[in-house]
Amino acid sequence: MEKLYVNAIGPDGEVSTVGLFYSQPEAQKIVDMLSANSERTGYRYEIVEAVRHVLSEKDSLRTRS
Amino acid sequence: MADPVLAEMVHATGATESRHYAAVKPVIQAYRASWVKLAPFRDGPVNASRVTVNDPAAMTAQIKAKAMELGANLVGVCRLQPQMIDLGSEVSHEFVIACCVAEDYEKVLHGPDDVEEEAMRTYAKCTEISTAMAAHVRDLGYPAIAHHNGASEVQAIPIFYQVGFGELGRHGSLINERYGASFRPGFVTTDLPLVEDRPREFGVQDFCMNCNVCQRNCPGDAIPQDYVMTHGIKRWLIDLEKCYPYSRLREEYCHLCVDVCPYNVKSHPETYKALMKERKQVGYKTPKTY
Repeated sequence: MEKLYVNAIGPDGEVSTVGLFYSQPEAQKIVDMLSANSERTGYRYEIVEAVRHVLSEKDSLRTRS
Repeated sequence: MADPVLAEMVHATGATESRHYAAVKPVIQAYRASWVKLAPFRDGPVNASRVTVNDPAAMTAQIKAKAMELGANLVGVCRLQPQMIDLGSEVSHEFVIACCVAEDYEKVLHGPDDVEEEAMRTYAKCTEISTAMAAHVRDLGYPAIAHHNGASEVQAIPIFYQVGFGELGRHGSLINERYGASFRPGFVTTDLPLVEDRPREFGVQDFCMNCNVCQRNCPGDAIPQDYVMTHGIKRWLIDLEKCYPYSRLREEYCHLCVDVCPYNVKSHPETYKALMKERKQVGYKTPKTY
């Protein structure tokens, strides 16, 4: 499965991770819902590959070997 | 199945239902039926004769005492904030009352069947408490809705953090200094005037940075080394694709990350030591039944 983070970027530029998602449509659905939320105006959203999880998998494998 | 990750993984095995959910015992079915039965009573008529609240602090103390009397182990109050409400849901109340019921740590260590039974027992108890509390608040003349396993529009962790029950741990659950992460939630949202509790930080996130015991014991390697930041709080995002083969695609429940958390040691020192000795003997990543 794909692993994707949805990040929220605040008006001040602070990046805050919304969560880990497992497909582009699932991540996009969250972005659409958040973007439609009137209490979150000023935020923009990005979907990025969950690279850090890939790194931790490698770390974990290294630990076990 | 509402969870798309689980649905995809189950379908990949050629099944139509998760083995874990398909194999439930009658006692578990009874607990599940109990919260389904109470779901229609989450909301109800509000007493037209409203009690005047001149002292919100006294009312908060009264509400907390009532919840404890009903069987809650912890009770807290905070303002309901947008991030606490499920995306796509609307809850217009001003406050949320959070209750939790702790699992019996001695019992959950007996094995997956006991873990699951204890989890369901505490979920059912939380359902009873939140339903009764919502009815009590409506009797006082204020709108109130219970949120529990039967039906809910709120998110447990941000509320638990805000009311000061604890901090988010590496295993993805909130850690309380007394109960570890072995507790279950129930909530009431309401407009009853109350006084807010505050978040309490007692070093969990710093401790988790160096501890790694849950990560070392996770059979699926689902707990990451690295964290992300969400509004200034560290979150270790559990990889469900790695967790589910042990927690949903087997018949047995997995609760190891919670069981091995060192925050259990304070209230159960001997039991915790015995568990960790056993974990070492079986190889840390071995599932609970082996």
